[in-house]
Amino acid sequence: MAGGADNAPALEGRRRGLAGLIPGSRKRSRDLALIWLFLAPSLAIFAIYRIVPLIWNAVLSFQFWSPYKPAEFAGLYHYEEMLFYDDAFWQTLWNTLIFMASAPVGIVFALAVALLVDTNIRGRNVYRTIFFMSYPVMTVAVGIIWQWLFNENVGLINYVLIELGIIDRGIPFLESFDWALPSVILASIWQVIGFYMIILLTGLQSIPPSLYEAAAIDGANALQRFRRITLPLIRPSLFLCFVVGIINSFTAFDLIFVMTGGGPGHATDLLITYIYSIAFRLSKFDYAAAITVVNFLLFLALAFLANRLAGGEAGAVKTGG
Amino acid sequence: MRKLAIALAAGAATLAMTLHPGSASAQEKKITVMTWNIPYFTEGFDKWVAAFKKVHPDFEVERIDMKGTELPTFYQTQVVAGTPPDIVDVQGGLWLQYASQGGLKNLDPYLERDKDYTDRINPQILDNWKYEGHHYGVPLYISKTLLFLNRNMMKEAGITEDPTSFDEIMADAEKMTGGENTGFMTLNFDWLYWPLFAMNGVEFVGDDGKAAFNTPEAVALVKRLADLTEKGVINKISWTGRWVEPNGAFAAGNVGMLHAHAPAFLWFKSKADWVNDESVGAMNMPGGWSTPNSHSLVLSEGSKWPEEAWDFMKIATSGDGAYAMGTGTNNLTGDMQVNEKLMGYFKENLPAVVPILETQLQDLDKLTGNWPFAQDAAIKDAFYPELQAALLGEKSAEDALSEAERKVNRILQRR
Repeated sequence: MAGGADNAPALEGRRRGLAGLIPGSRKRSRDLALIWLFLAPSLAIFAIYRIVPLIWNAVLSFQFWSPYKPAEFAGLYHYEEMLFYDDAFWQTLWNTLIFMASAPVGIVFALAVALLVDTNIRGRNVYRTIFFMSYPVMTVAVGIIWQWLFNENVGLINYVLIELGIIDRGIPFLESFDWALPSVILASIWQVIGFYMIILLTGLQSIPPSLYEAAAIDGANALQRFRRITLPLIRPSLFLCFVVGIINSFTAFDLIFVMTGGGPGHATDLLITYIYSIAFRLSKFDYAAAITVVNFLLFLALAFLANRLAGGEAGAVKTGG
Repeated sequence: MRKLAIALAAGAATLAMTLHPGSASAQEKKITVMTWNIPYFTEGFDKWVAAFKKVHPDFEVERIDMKGTELPTFYQTQVVAGTPPDIVDVQGGLWLQYASQGGLKNLDPYLERDKDYTDRINPQILDNWKYEGHHYGVPLYISKTLLFLNRNMMKEAGITEDPTSFDEIMADAEKMTGGENTGFMTLNFDWLYWPLFAMNGVEFVGDDGKAAFNTPEAVALVKRLADLTEKGVINKISWTGRWVEPNGAFAAGNVGMLHAHAPAFLWFKSKADWVNDESVGAMNMPGGWSTPNSHSLVLSEGSKWPEEAWDFMKIATSGDGAYAMGTGTNNLTGDMQVNEKLMGYFKENLPAVVPILETQLQDLDKLTGNWPFAQDAAIKDAFYPELQAALLGEKSAEDALSEAERKVNRILQRR
């Protein structure tokens, strides 16, 4: 693992290798300058498109600002507004958390599918393809497809439910305050489940069969093998899926925008759609910046938490022999 | 190494010079016109440009057409970038938030100076773009709400007379409801539903500048609308759809009445064979109440060529330019003389729209929902979700209106 004591010789070897090629400190510093020169465009782009907007957004959140007039210092005005007076902010925050909490549901389902298509069933490649097919579909197309499926009068889901005698009149899934968010979440899970499945399948296939054989010889049943071998060894894959799920809940703009526009009321608005709406529909960029800061901090906290849950080594790269 | 560094520096300098927007381009004599979702309007636009070039032969005109959902975002990013389009076509109350923040030019000096132009424009229509005593827009094409009647369904339900009051509208709607059929539907964006409240005597704000809609009458009305929605008399799409959904539902032929603005007619006519001037009737809402949803041209405060842009705006919104707009989009304009000519054109070429367009010039003193709030969008955003919750049975009418009142008053009071 990076930074681990076991990697020290490898890193030292690399360092010495580089130094060995460059005799003399002057040449070394010239080469370092060259390295920085090559890195500079990427760093500049990163700074311009990531760091500067982030800082500027934070500054903006403490100002009264619009595209049409000079900025004025606002102190904590926008934060006070957001925390104490804006019900819609709390609702969209809550919706975002619900959206995020739905990620494990999708992951569990994807794991079940991955376990199924990892067995020696006939046509498993076809099943894998079918399950994966939803992922490359454009999100806008996914939104439109599910909009039709959920339609109160002509939607397939209502048709099936009525035919089965479960309901006697169509449910307005996307127009109902109770059903709209679960419906959008279902569409979101459907889209990403193929991706989760592939990631988890990769994890499953990297587990040496000898481990299962040894466990079976020791008398472990299927559930024990799953709990003691499969789950621990696919933890990095599960972590990746969870991170993707979190990111998805913070960026699921297009699906919401197409399916419900955030409505009814703010029933399906997430923080990201609310920020857009505040900034570009209401022209309140300063207030939107304050919500963005909260969004960013929340995202940061969750990424940190996820990293800790993954053992504090997420993103670490194994180097050396 | 040295050669490489020189080469990199030279490359960077070339790139910077290529990308830099200054120097030559800054001197370019060009005005930019951004239109709202009329990409098909090319012939008329070319006529505007030709007329403009007769006055300003050294100027170029760039046109950008955006969908309504994208235009505000694009416009504001251009403002931030310091390159706003000189002229923008805006719908409804969108201009208010730009004008109130100083983003648009006050057109009063131009209107006072160019009397020949101003005298052609209907003053009641022109006043739609008045904020704090100043005009910020001139009418490009006009539209306001009216009631479309599905005559086939009325006939089936035994209704022989058009409704003359809110109660009659709802009574007729109940008669037409059953099975797949619903009796009434309205558009809900941009305050287009407000005539339903206005005709029941509900005011949005009082003379004291505070919310005035939380009254027993308003509560009773919201309860009634919610009840009729629950029963299917009012189509639920009224409160959830935007534009395509309700108009599409009316085109399907199983909605008795549609409260919408005039351009809806040609939209649903294009989607449904059954729509013609006999099968679809048009009338002003009882009492004459309507909400305007007209389009105007506004002039960006950041325009580098305001005089030239104003000349272009005059060309586009009066005389031959307005006529080109009217015939090109099947609408009436703000120019009273041109409207007479346009009605003649429609009678000859598109008689089905004549009854609809006739309503657009009537009862201009009964316009509602066009309050000049600086924070129009924020007020809509505070009010409508509460109303929607009540109409869809999520909240009681009392709670929803009280909550809406609190939120609206807070917006009206804050900066």
